Amino acid sequence: MKILTTVKKVVDVELNIKVNDGAIVEEGLQYVINAWDESAVEAAVQMKENHGAETTLVSVGGGDTTDIIRRCYAMGIENGIHIEDPALEKADSSIFAKVLQKVCEAGNYDLVITGKQAQDTDSGHTGILLAEYLKLPCVSNVIGIEVMDEQHIKVSRAGDGGTEIVELSLPAVVTVDVSINEPRLPQMRGIMMAKKKKIEEMDLAALGTSPDDVGAGAPKSEIIEFMESEKRKGGQKFEGDAAEITAKVVQLLADEAKVL
Amino acid sequence: MAKVLVVADIKEGVLKGSTAELCSKAKAIGTEVAVAAIGSNIEPLIPDLAKAGSDTQYIADDPGLEAFSAGPYASCVVDAARQFGADMIWFGFSESGKAVAPRVAAQLDAACANEITDVTLEAGRIEVVRPAFTNKVVQRVKSNTDKLVAVVRAGAFEADEGVTGSENVVKLSAPAPDAKAVVKELISDATGDIDLADADIVVSVGRGARNQEGVDLVKQLANDLSAGFGSSRAMVDGGFMPHNKQVGQTGKIVAPSLYIAVGISGAIQHLAGMNGSKVILAVNKDPEAPIFNVADYGIVGDLFEVVPILREEIKKVRG
Repeated sequence: MKILTTVKKVVDVELNIKVNDGAIVEEGLQYVINAWDESAVEAAVQMKENHGAETTLVSVGGGDTTDIIRRCYAMGIENGIHIEDPALEKADSSIFAKVLQKVCEAGNYDLVITGKQAQDTDSGHTGILLAEYLKLPCVSNVIGIEVMDEQHIKVSRAGDGGTEIVELSLPAVVTVDVSINEPRLPQMRGIMMAKKKKIEEMDLAALGTSPDDVGAGAPKSEIIEFMESEKRKGGQKFEGDAAEITAKVVQLLADEAKVL
Repeated sequence: MAKVLVVADIKEGVLKGSTAELCSKAKAIGTEVAVAAIGSNIEPLIPDLAKAGSDTQYIADDPGLEAFSAGPYASCVVDAARQFGADMIWFGFSESGKAVAPRVAAQLDAACANEITDVTLEAGRIEVVRPAFTNKVVQRVKSNTDKLVAVVRAGAFEADEGVTGSENVVKLSAPAPDAKAVVKELISDATGDIDLADADIVVSVGRGARNQEGVDLVKQLANDLSAGFGSSRAMVDGGFMPHNKQVGQTGKIVAPSLYIAVGISGAIQHLAGMNGSKVILAVNKDPEAPIFNVADYGIVGDLFEVVPILREEIKKVRG
């Protein structure tokens, strides 16, 4: 079984993010692997260990993603592709999905595992769009993957009414939630070996496509500007005798906030 | 006149409140409004669908649509959107909406936006506002096409009591099941519980509850208040709470009148799921917990001591 995982380099959202003049202030930003993609990588590595799958990751854009790809190598991913092209500067999720479609068509993968969303855009579109473009079956928000045989997997999906169990015929695309697993920390031996591994760097031409072919000049949506979000402020905080302060707060909820 | 197709949010045979909210907003921006309703045995909901504010109801009612399956559901929405000539297709905030919206966008060659909090339509130009970077900032996004598919963030729009619609039913033919993604089973983990999305009050439990005994204690508070009972990620990962009760960026987004966070420290991912609540009460023994930075009222104390008192005091004021 050949597995492809997609990995996006994103802003570390745990740190402060400032807006100036409609744009995100670059200074002080740190970049990390998207948390959902890290779970996708862990899921792929587990399938390699348990079922002998061959694992490849692809990262599109993000500038220098060497550190992130090496981290995934240290976790156990075998092959890495990084696609960077100036034409992708304004890419939206449909364009990223088109680029990934080219990667999939070139690689003949049985299963594509992506994170269900990225923590910068929080859109959750790319994996599902990719499946649509490839006309492959797809399940999103996956919290468990079980290999049935070479042609079938059984996945659990966190749905609105509970956990949905779906049997997928391969090739297929799944997008995973972070709760599917606890990504391993790379060990020293893996980190040392990862340093020697090659990363296949490509632009769109090397991928056998062109900016027009993936619609790079015509994104379906464009960000006009960023704005500060309305920040809530902390209100009244009470410390001291539990009985006293709890009674006080309940009175406030009833009389001042009028929500009881 | 521009046209908005609202995809009805139906759960266990009941039309959820988000459908009326989306129809009201669509009418407020001056569009013609239709709904698409998909499921099994949903025809009894037609009067409710009209009352929610729609003037045409596209109904896909088939036993094969009882269990959610993204492919067939998307086919129904695309069918309705084409027949109606929709400029925009809006989904309420749900896991099914998030799964179907990008498929519909791909099939209609439309732009797609998740978690929108506002939308404007002027001279055919569609713009939306939505959060980004785990809710730390917001962005204004324009569609470069004349069609947009959007998932609306929970609580973003309000239902207008004055808005109403009329019955004009169009039946959709049932799509073929997805032979390559076969839904085998639904393991329901909350039948009969109050739906988080609809609850006027939500009580959520976090790591501070430590164990099942703690979870049960906090659940009693939720029961007293007829509140939805949610969770932080820690208690879901710990196996104490089901996955579909997780409030946060990766789970449910809620915006109740009152949100009570018990033993929750307040990681940004959790805050992203509840900071639209009107009033927030936090109970936490750590006075420095970040939850207090967003809470309107805070009680610093051990939840095992505070929650029983809270229950008593609430009973007193509610009579």
